[in-house]
Amino acid sequence: MDVDLNSEQAVRGAIQTHSKRVWRFALSLSGASDIADDLLQATCLRALERHHQVTSTARLDSWLMTICRSIWLNEIRSRSVRKAQALSVTPEVELISQDADAETNIFAAEVFTKVMELPEAQRETVMLVFVEGYSYREAADILGVPIGTIMSRLSNARQKLKSAIQPDEAGSDRRSGK
Amino acid sequence: MKFSDETLLAYLEGDLDRDTASAIEDAVAEHAELESRLMALDPIAPMVQTAFENVPAKAPVIDLPEPEPAPIAGPSPAMGIGRLLAVAASVSVIAVSATFWATRPEPMGWAEQAAIYQSLYAPETVAALDPSPEALDAQFAQAEEQLGRSLNRDVLETLPGLDLKRAQILSFKGKPLIQVVFADAQGQPLAFCVIRQGPGAPAKNVEHAVLSGLATATWAQDGYGYILMGSDADSPLEGNLDILTTSFAS
Repeated sequence: MDVDLNSEQAVRGAIQTHSKRVWRFALSLSGASDIADDLLQATCLRALERHHQVTSTARLDSWLMTICRSIWLNEIRSRSVRKAQALSVTPEVELISQDADAETNIFAAEVFTKVMELPEAQRETVMLVFVEGYSYREAADILGVPIGTIMSRLSNARQKLKSAIQPDEAGSDRRSGK
Repeated sequence: MKFSDETLLAYLEGDLDRDTASAIEDAVAEHAELESRLMALDPIAPMVQTAFENVPAKAPVIDLPEPEPAPIAGPSPAMGIGRLLAVAASVSVIAVSATFWATRPEPMGWAEQAAIYQSLYAPETVAALDPSPEALDAQFAQAEEQLGRSLNRDVLETLPGLDLKRAQILSFKGKPLIQVVFADAQGQPLAFCVIRQGPGAPAKNVEHAVLSGLATATWAQDGYGYILMGSDADSPLEGNLDILTTSFAS
Protein backbone atom coordinates (compact mmCIF):
# COMPACT_ATOMS: atom_id res chain seq x y z
CA MET A 1 0.00 0.00 0.00
CA ASP A 2 2.70 2.44 1.00
CA VAL A 3 4.81 1.41 -1.96
CA ASP A 4 1.89 2.03 -4.34
CA LEU A 5 1.17 5.40 -2.82
CA ASN A 6 4.81 6.44 -3.03
CA SER A 7 5.36 5.22 -6.57
CA GLU A 8 2.22 7.01 -7.79
CA GLN A 9 3.34 10.20 -6.13
CA ALA A 10 6.86 9.79 -7.46
CA VAL A 11 5.45 9.46 -10.98
CA ARG A 12 3.25 12.52 -10.48
CA GLY A 13 6.27 14.44 -9.25
CA ALA A 14 8.35 13.28 -12.21
CA ILE A 15 5.61 14.30 -14.64
CA GLN A 16 5.55 17.76 -13.11
CA THR A 17 9.33 18.06 -13.08
CA HIS A 18 10.00 16.70 -16.56
CA SER A 19 6.95 17.80 -18.54
CA LYS A 20 8.89 20.32 -20.64
CA ARG A 21 11.59 17.79 -21.46
CA VAL A 22 9.13 15.08 -22.45
CA TRP A 23 7.20 17.61 -24.55
CA ARG A 24 10.42 18.62 -26.35
CA PHE A 25 11.20 14.98 -27.02
CA ALA A 26 7.63 14.46 -28.27
CA LEU A 27 8.13 17.45 -30.58
CA SER A 28 11.32 15.93 -31.92
CA LEU A 29 9.53 12.64 -32.62
CA SER A 30 6.41 14.07 -34.20
CA GLY A 31 7.69 17.35 -35.60
CA ALA A 32 4.47 19.13 -34.70
CA SER A 33 3.49 20.87 -31.49
CA ASP A 34 -0.16 19.75 -31.52
CA ILE A 35 0.94 16.10 -31.76
CA ALA A 36 3.54 16.76 -29.05
CA ASP A 37 0.70 17.96 -26.77
CA ASP A 38 -1.25 14.73 -27.36
CA LEU A 39 1.83 12.58 -27.02
CA LEU A 40 2.80 14.17 -23.70
CA GLN A 41 -0.73 13.73 -22.37
CA ALA A 42 -0.81 10.06 -23.43
CA THR A 43 2.67 9.50 -21.97
CA CYS A 44 1.71 10.91 -18.58
CA LEU A 45 -1.51 8.88 -18.37
CA ARG A 46 0.37 5.71 -19.34
CA ALA A 47 3.10 6.42 -16.80
CA LEU A 48 0.53 6.89 -14.08
CA GLU A 49 -1.20 3.62 -15.00
CA ARG A 50 2.13 1.87 -14.76
CA HIS A 51 3.40 3.49 -11.56
CA HIS A 52 3.48 0.00 -9.98
CA GLN A 53 6.43 -0.80 -12.26
CA VAL A 54 8.52 1.94 -10.69
CA THR A 55 11.12 0.49 -8.38
CA SER A 56 13.50 3.42 -8.22
CA THR A 57 12.80 7.12 -8.52
CA ALA A 58 16.29 7.81 -9.79
CA ARG A 59 15.70 7.58 -13.53
CA LEU A 60 12.06 8.43 -13.99
CA ASP A 61 12.95 10.97 -16.67
CA SER A 62 14.38 8.37 -19.03
CA TRP A 63 11.47 6.04 -18.18
CA LEU A 64 9.05 8.79 -19.30
CA MET A 65 11.07 9.27 -22.51
CA THR A 66 10.90 5.53 -23.24
CA ILE A 67 7.12 5.48 -22.73
CA CYS A 68 6.73 8.56 -24.91
CA ARG A 69 8.66 7.00 -27.76
CA SER A 70 6.85 3.70 -27.47
CA ILE A 71 3.44 5.42 -27.71
CA TRP A 72 4.68 7.44 -30.67
CA LEU A 73 5.94 4.41 -32.56
CA ASN A 74 3.09 2.04 -31.73
CA GLU A 75 0.04 4.23 -31.55
CA ILE A 76 0.40 7.73 -32.94
CA ARG A 77 2.95 7.63 -35.70
CA SER A 78 0.74 5.67 -38.09
CA ARG A 79 -2.16 8.05 -37.48
CA SER A 80 0.13 10.98 -38.19
CA VAL A 81 1.57 9.21 -41.18
CA ARG A 82 1.12 12.10 -43.53
CA LYS A 83 3.13 14.41 -41.34
CA ALA A 84 5.61 11.74 -40.40
CA GLN A 85 6.33 10.74 -43.99
CA ALA A 86 6.40 14.23 -45.37
CA LEU A 87 8.81 15.40 -42.71
CA SER A 88 8.76 18.69 -44.48
CA VAL A 89 7.71 19.51 -40.97
CA THR A 90 6.84 23.13 -40.69
CA PRO A 91 9.45 24.23 -38.23
CA GLU A 92 7.46 25.83 -35.51
CA VAL A 93 9.81 28.71 -35.10
CA GLU A 94 7.32 30.68 -33.05
CA LEU A 95 8.15 28.27 -30.25
CA ILE A 96 11.44 30.07 -29.79
CA SER A 97 11.24 32.34 -26.79
CA GLN A 98 10.90 36.02 -27.53
CA ASP A 99 12.60 36.99 -24.29
CA ALA A 100 16.12 37.12 -25.67
CA ASP A 101 17.48 39.84 -27.94
CA ALA A 102 16.77 39.79 -31.66
CA GLU A 103 20.17 38.42 -32.74
CA THR A 104 19.97 35.56 -30.26
CA ASN A 105 16.45 34.79 -31.46
CA ILE A 106 17.45 34.69 -35.11
CA PHE A 107 20.32 32.35 -34.29
CA ALA A 108 18.13 30.13 -32.09
CA ALA A 109 15.48 30.01 -34.83
CA GLU A 110 18.07 28.94 -37.42
CA VAL A 111 19.35 26.17 -35.20
CA PHE A 112 15.81 25.12 -34.27
CA THR A 113 14.79 24.93 -37.93
CA LYS A 114 17.86 22.89 -38.88
CA VAL A 115 17.26 20.42 -36.05
CA MET A 116 13.61 20.01 -37.00
CA GLU A 117 14.60 19.36 -40.61
CA LEU A 118 16.81 16.42 -39.64
CA PRO A 119 15.54 12.89 -40.37
CA GLU A 120 13.54 11.50 -37.45
CA ALA A 121 16.25 9.14 -36.16
CA GLN A 122 18.84 11.93 -36.06
CA ARG A 123 16.36 14.38 -34.59
CA GLU A 124 15.40 12.17 -31.64
CA THR A 125 19.08 11.45 -30.95
CA VAL A 126 20.10 15.10 -31.13
CA MET A 127 17.27 15.98 -28.77
CA LEU A 128 18.27 13.41 -26.15
CA VAL A 129 22.02 14.07 -26.25
CA PHE A 130 22.49 17.72 -27.24
CA VAL A 131 19.39 19.21 -25.65
CA GLU A 132 18.53 16.93 -22.72
CA GLY A 133 22.13 16.11 -21.84
CA TYR A 134 21.89 12.31 -21.85
CA SER A 135 25.17 10.50 -22.46
CA TYR A 136 25.56 8.45 -25.64
CA ARG A 137 25.11 5.35 -23.49
CA GLU A 138 21.88 6.60 -21.90
CA ALA A 139 20.49 7.65 -25.29
CA ALA A 140 21.37 4.21 -26.68
CA ASP A 141 19.35 2.63 -23.85
CA ILE A 142 16.34 4.87 -24.37
CA LEU A 143 16.31 4.37 -28.14
CA GLY A 144 17.24 0.69 -28.02
CA VAL A 145 20.19 0.96 -30.43
CA PRO A 146 23.95 0.39 -30.06
CA ILE A 147 26.09 3.31 -28.88
CA GLY A 148 27.85 3.33 -32.28
CA THR A 149 24.52 4.08 -33.95
CA ILE A 150 24.02 7.03 -31.62
CA MET A 151 27.46 8.36 -32.50
CA SER A 152 27.03 7.99 -36.24
CA ARG A 153 23.60 9.64 -36.12
CA LEU A 154 25.14 12.54 -34.21
CA SER A 155 28.03 12.78 -36.70
CA ASN A 156 25.57 13.02 -39.59
CA ALA A 157 23.47 15.54 -37.70
CA ARG A 158 26.53 17.67 -36.85
CA GLN A 159 27.41 17.94 -40.55
CA LYS A 160 23.92 19.18 -41.35
CA LEU A 161 23.77 21.56 -38.38
CA LYS A 162 27.17 23.07 -39.06
CA SER A 163 25.83 25.37 -41.76
CA ALA A 164 23.45 26.95 -39.25
CA ILE A 165 25.94 27.05 -36.43
CA GLN A 166 29.60 27.26 -37.44
CA PRO A 167 30.82 28.38 -34.04
CA ASP A 168 33.96 30.11 -35.19
CA GLU A 169 32.88 32.10 -38.19
CA ALA A 170 29.26 32.65 -37.23
CA GLY A 171 30.21 33.35 -33.63
CA SER A 172 32.84 35.93 -34.33
CA ASP A 173 30.74 37.54 -37.06
CA ARG A 174 27.85 37.97 -34.69
CA ARG A 175 30.06 39.33 -31.99
CA SER A 176 31.87 41.79 -34.21
CA GLY A 177 28.60 42.83 -35.80
CA LYS A 178 29.72 41.91 -39.32
CA MET B 1 44.68 3.67 -27.81
CA LYS B 2 44.93 7.31 -26.78
CA PHE B 3 43.28 10.12 -28.67
CA SER B 4 44.39 13.73 -28.39
CA ASP B 5 41.89 16.56 -28.03
CA GLU B 6 42.81 17.60 -31.55
CA THR B 7 41.87 14.17 -32.90
CA LEU B 8 38.62 14.15 -30.94
CA LEU B 9 37.76 17.63 -32.22
CA ALA B 10 38.54 16.51 -35.76
CA TYR B 11 36.13 13.59 -35.21
CA LEU B 12 33.43 15.98 -34.01
CA GLU B 13 34.08 18.22 -37.00
CA GLY B 14 33.73 15.23 -39.34
CA ASP B 15 37.30 15.66 -40.58
CA LEU B 16 38.64 12.17 -39.85
CA ASP B 17 38.95 9.24 -42.20
CA ARG B 18 36.46 6.42 -41.70
CA ASP B 19 38.94 4.07 -40.00
CA THR B 20 40.04 6.55 -37.35
CA ALA B 21 36.44 7.62 -36.75
CA SER B 22 35.44 3.98 -36.26
CA ALA B 23 38.35 3.47 -33.87
CA ILE B 24 37.09 6.40 -31.76
CA GLU B 25 33.52 5.08 -31.81
CA ASP B 26 34.70 1.63 -30.72
CA ALA B 27 36.81 3.13 -27.93
CA VAL B 28 33.92 5.30 -26.69
CA ALA B 29 31.73 2.20 -26.45
CA GLU B 30 34.38 0.67 -24.20
CA HIS B 31 35.42 3.68 -22.10
CA ALA B 32 32.92 5.98 -20.41
CA GLU B 33 35.67 8.48 -19.60
CA LEU B 34 36.48 8.93 -23.28
CA GLU B 35 32.76 9.45 -23.88
CA SER B 36 32.73 12.26 -21.27
CA ARG B 37 35.81 13.85 -22.82
CA LEU B 38 34.35 13.70 -26.32
CA MET B 39 31.00 15.09 -25.16
CA ALA B 40 32.72 17.96 -23.35
CA LEU B 41 34.54 18.94 -26.55
CA ASP B 42 31.45 18.90 -28.79
CA PRO B 43 31.16 22.40 -30.26
CA ILE B 44 27.63 21.90 -31.63
CA ALA B 45 25.83 20.45 -28.60
CA PRO B 46 25.80 23.60 -26.38
CA MET B 47 24.44 25.73 -29.19
CA VAL B 48 21.61 23.31 -29.92
CA GLN B 49 20.86 23.14 -26.21
CA THR B 50 20.69 26.92 -25.99
CA ALA B 51 18.33 27.09 -28.98
CA PHE B 52 15.90 24.70 -27.30
CA GLU B 53 16.23 25.68 -23.67
CA ASN B 54 13.11 27.86 -23.68
CA VAL B 55 11.04 25.48 -25.82
CA PRO B 56 8.25 25.28 -24.83
CA ALA B 57 8.07 28.74 -23.26
CA LYS B 58 5.47 27.62 -20.71
CA ALA B 59 5.02 24.33 -18.90
CA PRO B 60 2.65 22.21 -20.99
CA VAL B 61 -0.84 21.56 -19.65
CA ILE B 62 -1.44 17.96 -18.61
CA ASP B 63 -4.80 16.60 -17.55
CA LEU B 64 -4.28 13.88 -14.97
CA PRO B 65 -6.90 11.98 -13.00
CA GLU B 66 -7.21 12.90 -9.36
CA PRO B 67 -4.85 10.94 -7.18
CA GLU B 68 -6.12 8.60 -4.53
CA PRO B 69 -6.34 9.61 -1.79
CA ALA B 70 -7.73 12.81 -3.30
CA PRO B 71 -5.49 15.85 -2.97
CA ILE B 72 -6.58 18.54 -0.61
CA ALA B 73 -6.56 22.15 -1.67
CA GLY B 74 -5.56 23.46 1.72
CA PRO B 75 -5.53 22.41 5.34
CA SER B 76 -8.99 22.43 6.87
CA PRO B 77 -10.17 21.67 10.38
CA ALA B 78 -11.72 18.45 9.03
CA MET B 79 -8.44 17.18 7.60
CA GLY B 80 -7.33 14.03 9.32
CA ILE B 81 -3.76 13.29 10.28
CA GLY B 82 -3.57 10.62 7.56
CA ARG B 83 -4.41 13.13 4.86
CA LEU B 84 -1.94 15.62 6.26
CA LEU B 85 0.72 12.94 6.11
CA ALA B 86 -0.26 12.10 2.55
CA VAL B 87 0.09 15.72 1.51
CA ALA B 88 3.42 15.95 3.31
CA ALA B 89 4.58 12.79 1.55
CA SER B 90 3.49 14.13 -1.81
CA VAL B 91 5.35 17.40 -1.25
CA SER B 92 8.46 15.55 -0.16
CA VAL B 93 8.35 13.25 -3.20
CA ILE B 94 8.16 16.26 -5.48
CA ALA B 95 11.05 17.80 -3.57
CA VAL B 96 13.03 14.59 -3.90
CA SER B 97 12.42 14.36 -7.62
CA ALA B 98 13.32 18.03 -7.93
CA THR B 99 16.55 17.18 -6.14
CA PHE B 100 17.24 14.34 -8.55
CA TRP B 101 16.63 16.77 -11.36
CA ALA B 102 18.91 19.35 -9.80
CA THR B 103 21.68 16.82 -9.33
CA ARG B 104 21.46 15.34 -12.82
CA PRO B 105 24.61 15.95 -14.82
CA GLU B 106 22.80 17.92 -17.48
CA PRO B 107 22.26 21.33 -15.85
CA MET B 108 25.79 21.41 -14.43
CA GLY B 109 27.51 24.77 -14.38
CA TRP B 110 30.48 25.70 -16.51
CA ALA B 111 32.95 25.40 -13.63
CA GLU B 112 31.91 21.81 -12.85
CA GLN B 113 32.10 20.88 -16.53
CA ALA B 114 35.51 22.48 -16.87
CA ALA B 115 36.71 20.57 -13.78
CA ILE B 116 35.46 17.25 -15.15
CA TYR B 117 37.30 17.91 -18.37
CA GLN B 118 40.47 19.04 -16.59
CA SER B 119 40.40 16.00 -14.27
CA LEU B 120 41.03 13.81 -17.32
CA TYR B 121 44.36 15.52 -17.98
CA ALA B 122 47.43 13.43 -17.19
CA PRO B 123 51.09 14.52 -17.11
CA GLU B 124 51.38 12.87 -20.55
CA THR B 125 48.65 15.18 -21.88
CA VAL B 126 50.64 18.32 -21.12
CA ALA B 127 53.97 16.72 -22.04
CA ALA B 128 52.61 16.17 -25.54
CA LEU B 129 51.66 19.84 -26.04
CA ASP B 130 53.73 22.24 -28.15
CA PRO B 131 54.42 25.33 -26.02
CA SER B 132 56.56 27.10 -28.65
CA PRO B 133 56.16 30.90 -28.80
CA GLU B 134 54.69 30.58 -32.31
CA ALA B 135 52.05 28.07 -31.19
CA LEU B 136 51.16 30.17 -28.14
CA ASP B 137 51.00 33.36 -30.25
CA ALA B 138 48.38 31.82 -32.50
CA GLN B 139 46.44 30.22 -29.64
CA PHE B 140 46.30 33.41 -27.58
CA ALA B 141 45.32 35.56 -30.57
CA GLN B 142 42.38 33.28 -31.37
CA ALA B 143 41.39 32.82 -27.74
CA GLU B 144 41.44 36.54 -26.99
CA GLU B 145 39.37 37.26 -30.10
CA GLN B 146 36.74 34.72 -29.03
CA LEU B 147 36.74 35.96 -25.49
CA GLY B 148 36.74 39.67 -26.31
CA ARG B 149 39.35 40.49 -23.71
CA SER B 150 43.06 40.11 -23.01
CA LEU B 151 44.28 36.95 -21.32
CA ASN B 152 47.27 38.79 -19.79
CA ARG B 153 49.72 36.37 -21.34
CA ASP B 154 52.68 38.14 -19.74
CA VAL B 155 51.22 37.35 -16.32
CA LEU B 156 50.35 33.76 -17.24
CA GLU B 157 53.86 33.14 -18.54
CA THR B 158 55.45 34.26 -15.30
CA LEU B 159 53.27 32.54 -12.71
CA PRO B 160 55.72 31.14 -10.12
CA GLY B 161 56.34 27.41 -10.40
CA LEU B 162 54.20 26.98 -13.54
CA ASP B 163 55.07 26.48 -17.22
CA LEU B 164 52.50 27.80 -19.69
CA LYS B 165 51.59 25.02 -22.12
CA ARG B 166 48.55 25.94 -24.18
CA ALA B 167 45.47 28.14 -24.56
CA GLN B 168 42.51 26.27 -25.99
CA ILE B 169 39.08 27.47 -27.10
CA LEU B 170 36.19 25.49 -25.66
CA SER B 171 32.53 26.38 -25.48
CA PHE B 172 29.84 26.08 -22.81
CA LYS B 173 26.22 26.62 -23.84
CA GLY B 174 27.35 28.75 -26.73
CA LYS B 175 29.67 30.90 -24.62
CA PRO B 176 33.40 30.92 -25.34
CA LEU B 177 35.37 29.19 -22.59
CA ILE B 178 39.15 29.46 -22.74
CA GLN B 179 41.25 26.83 -21.01
CA VAL B 180 44.87 27.78 -20.29
CA VAL B 181 46.94 24.74 -19.34
CA PHE B 182 50.11 24.72 -17.24
CA ALA B 183 52.50 22.11 -15.92
CA ASP B 184 54.01 22.40 -12.46
CA ALA B 185 57.61 21.50 -11.60
CA GLN B 186 56.64 17.79 -11.45
CA GLY B 187 54.90 17.97 -14.81
CA GLN B 188 51.43 17.75 -13.25
CA PRO B 189 48.68 19.55 -15.20
CA LEU B 190 46.89 22.63 -13.86
CA ALA B 191 44.52 24.99 -15.61
CA PHE B 192 43.07 28.46 -15.52
CA CYS B 193 39.82 29.01 -17.43
CA VAL B 194 37.92 32.14 -18.39
CA ILE B 195 34.34 32.16 -19.71
CA ARG B 196 32.51 35.14 -21.17
CA GLN B 197 29.22 35.26 -19.30
CA GLY B 198 27.88 38.53 -20.67
CA PRO B 199 27.57 42.01 -19.24
CA GLY B 200 24.59 41.20 -16.98
CA ALA B 201 26.28 38.30 -15.18
CA PRO B 202 26.54 38.77 -11.41
CA ALA B 203 29.95 39.24 -9.79
CA LYS B 204 31.03 36.50 -7.37
CA ASN B 205 33.71 36.53 -4.72
CA VAL B 206 36.36 33.83 -4.74
CA GLU B 207 34.96 30.45 -3.69
CA HIS B 208 37.10 27.41 -2.98
CA ALA B 209 35.82 23.90 -3.70
CA VAL B 210 37.09 20.48 -4.65
CA LEU B 211 35.49 19.66 -8.02
CA SER B 212 36.09 16.31 -9.75
CA GLY B 213 38.97 15.70 -7.33
CA LEU B 214 40.70 19.01 -8.09
CA ALA B 215 41.21 21.95 -5.75
CA THR B 216 39.53 24.92 -7.45
CA ALA B 217 38.90 28.60 -6.90
CA THR B 218 36.14 30.32 -8.89
CA TRP B 219 35.09 33.93 -9.11
CA ALA B 220 33.27 36.24 -11.49
CA GLN B 221 33.65 39.87 -12.33
CA ASP B 222 32.65 42.30 -15.09
CA GLY B 223 30.84 39.72 -17.18
CA TYR B 224 33.57 37.07 -17.05
CA GLY B 225 33.85 33.93 -14.92
CA TYR B 226 37.19 32.51 -13.80
CA ILE B 227 38.38 29.22 -12.37
CA LEU B 228 41.83 28.14 -11.26
CA MET B 229 42.21 24.37 -10.97
CA GLY B 230 45.04 22.52 -9.25
CA SER B 231 46.43 19.13 -10.14
CA ASP B 232 44.70 17.36 -7.24
CA ALA B 233 42.43 18.02 -4.27
CA ASP B 234 45.29 19.39 -2.15
CA SER B 235 47.01 21.65 -4.66
CA PRO B 236 47.91 24.97 -3.04
CA LEU B 237 46.32 27.73 -5.14
CA GLU B 238 46.80 30.81 -2.98
CA GLY B 239 49.91 32.45 -4.43
CA ASN B 240 48.86 32.24 -8.05
CA LEU B 241 45.24 32.98 -7.15
CA ASP B 242 46.26 36.35 -5.72
CA ILE B 243 48.20 37.18 -8.87
CA LEU B 244 45.31 36.17 -11.15
CA THR B 245 42.52 37.91 -9.24
CA THR B 246 44.61 41.09 -9.20
CA SER B 247 45.70 41.00 -12.83
CA PHE B 248 42.26 40.08 -14.18
CA ALA B 249 40.47 42.80 -12.19
CA SER B 250 39.65 45.58 -14.60
